[in-house]
Amino acid sequence: MITFRHVLRSEWTKLVSLRSTWATLGTVAVLTVGLAGAIGYGVSRSDPPANAGEAVGAAFLPLDFFVLVIGVLGVLQMTGEYGSGLIRATLTAVPRRLPVLAAKALALAALTFPVMLVVCPAAFLVCQAFIGEGGASLGDPGVPGAILGAAACPVLVGLLGLGVGALVRHTAGAVTALAAALLVIPALLTPVLPGDWDERVMKFVPTIAGQAMYAVGGDNTPFETLAPAASAAVLVAWVLVALAGGAALLARRDA
Amino acid sequence: MIEARALTKRYGDKVAVDELSFTVRPGQVTGFLGPNGAGKSTTMRMIVGLDRPTAGTVTVSGRPYREHAAPLRQVGALLEAKAVHRGRTAHSHLLALAQTHGIAARRVDEVLGLAGLSDVAGKRVGGFSLGMGQRLGIAVALLGDPATVMLDEPVNGLDPDGVVWVRNLLKGLAAEGRTVLVSSHLMSEMAVTAEHLVIIGRGRLLADTTVDELIARVAVGSVLVRSPRAADLRDLLVAHGAAVTATDSDAVQVVGLTAEKIGDLALDGGLPLYELTPRRASLEEAYMELTREAVEYR
Repeated sequence: MITFRHVLRSEWTKLVSLRSTWATLGTVAVLTVGLAGAIGYGVSRSDPPANAGEAVGAAFLPLDFFVLVIGVLGVLQMTGEYGSGLIRATLTAVPRRLPVLAAKALALAALTFPVMLVVCPAAFLVCQAFIGEGGASLGDPGVPGAILGAAACPVLVGLLGLGVGALVRHTAGAVTALAAALLVIPALLTPVLPGDWDERVMKFVPTIAGQAMYAVGGDNTPFETLAPAASAAVLVAWVLVALAGGAALLARRDA
Repeated sequence: MIEARALTKRYGDKVAVDELSFTVRPGQVTGFLGPNGAGKSTTMRMIVGLDRPTAGTVTVSGRPYREHAAPLRQVGALLEAKAVHRGRTAHSHLLALAQTHGIAARRVDEVLGLAGLSDVAGKRVGGFSLGMGQRLGIAVALLGDPATVMLDEPVNGLDPDGVVWVRNLLKGLAAEGRTVLVSSHLMSEMAVTAEHLVIIGRGRLLADTTVDELIARVAVGSVLVRSPRAADLRDLLVAHGAAVTATDSDAVQVVGLTAEKIGDLALDGGLPLYELTPRRASLEEAYMELTREAVEYR
């Protein structure tokens, strides 16, 4: 008997039974914390000393890149099945299909969020320890929210990747599409948009919204950004668009 | 029981399956035959809802596959070998599929045993041979203890032991009252495994019949006759309307007369016979005859 709980357990098994999942998460964890320490060391030697916002930003600078790695993990959760043909077995087992995508999303979030809830405070503490004097502390205003945002952002980008994977189905194409959406489009928008339009548009770009989720004091970004909560809502909206598009095609297309 | 009614699948203006109607009944092995590109795999994918029919319907146990509450209990399917993520173990692969239906982990070990994969259950599938991949695919098909088993080219890549294993497995499943649909290009294997046949060509139904009926209907049987006076015998039989080909200096192959008639004619003509062997046409010959016009190279 198919129930959503059963499908969720199945997708959890799929995710945790791949060595590559653990290799990816382990690498992200070690490098995020390690680089946060290295950056903290660099900041401690800067002149003038860092302000509070910069001190927090230094801790999560590595995340700006590693969200993409979690995004690729989300892509592979879908395209890995198409590439191997496993999708045919999966959709034969669950012919109504949509529970599969929903369960993949939940399983990915249930795995990556706890990991990030450990990695992000660790990165923050290690970074501040290297900064030493002038470093931020856990109790400073905005810091708990920034840590939470730093933990949630990679999860959302992972879900964005899952949606892109369901839309594109081929690994190379989906990874390219995700990288274009996260890296290339923001870089191209600024020169393309006329006048002060980038001020109005950039805060809604996934990458900018994602980074604003873990920024304290918006004065360290080159663009005007929304508040962390509003930025999170923007990124969630992008995730829902990608997953809805992926779901619509998953339901309609021949597998 | 699988029932297809006017099942049709078009890709653009290319018709892959064309108003196909057939019934696969329980309790016997049904062979699903046709040249490459005839639409066998497309039909099988439509049976389990992977491809959506352009028109027509196909039901399993009375309703469309996707409407069953526990579809793996209705149909176990092997559609392609090694439809498995290379980085997962055989056990994890089966477990993940079992969990969608709440099937116990014990059943995973059971089907691994049935398929002869117990020793490699913990090995990653990337290193499996084609034959082991086929065995794993068959294990997947058996996972839900299904009422219908549907296998696409299951003996592909199997060693002779494996071929015999699949043959006995399919016969055993049919004997238990299950519906068994199996496609293959190996006619000799089909001849000893299947009782019923559904044959398609260019997406259309060519035959829905038993193996014996098909051979009797389509293929022409012949009689091998050996005689020290083969040349005289040949003239005599040709005079009575038979088609005769010499196979040896003292033997001929006769089409168009029964063994009894040949014996009587030889006696009347005073010609000695050393051998008189009726030869039934093979399934392969009957199949080739039936599909000759439907073969299509793409």
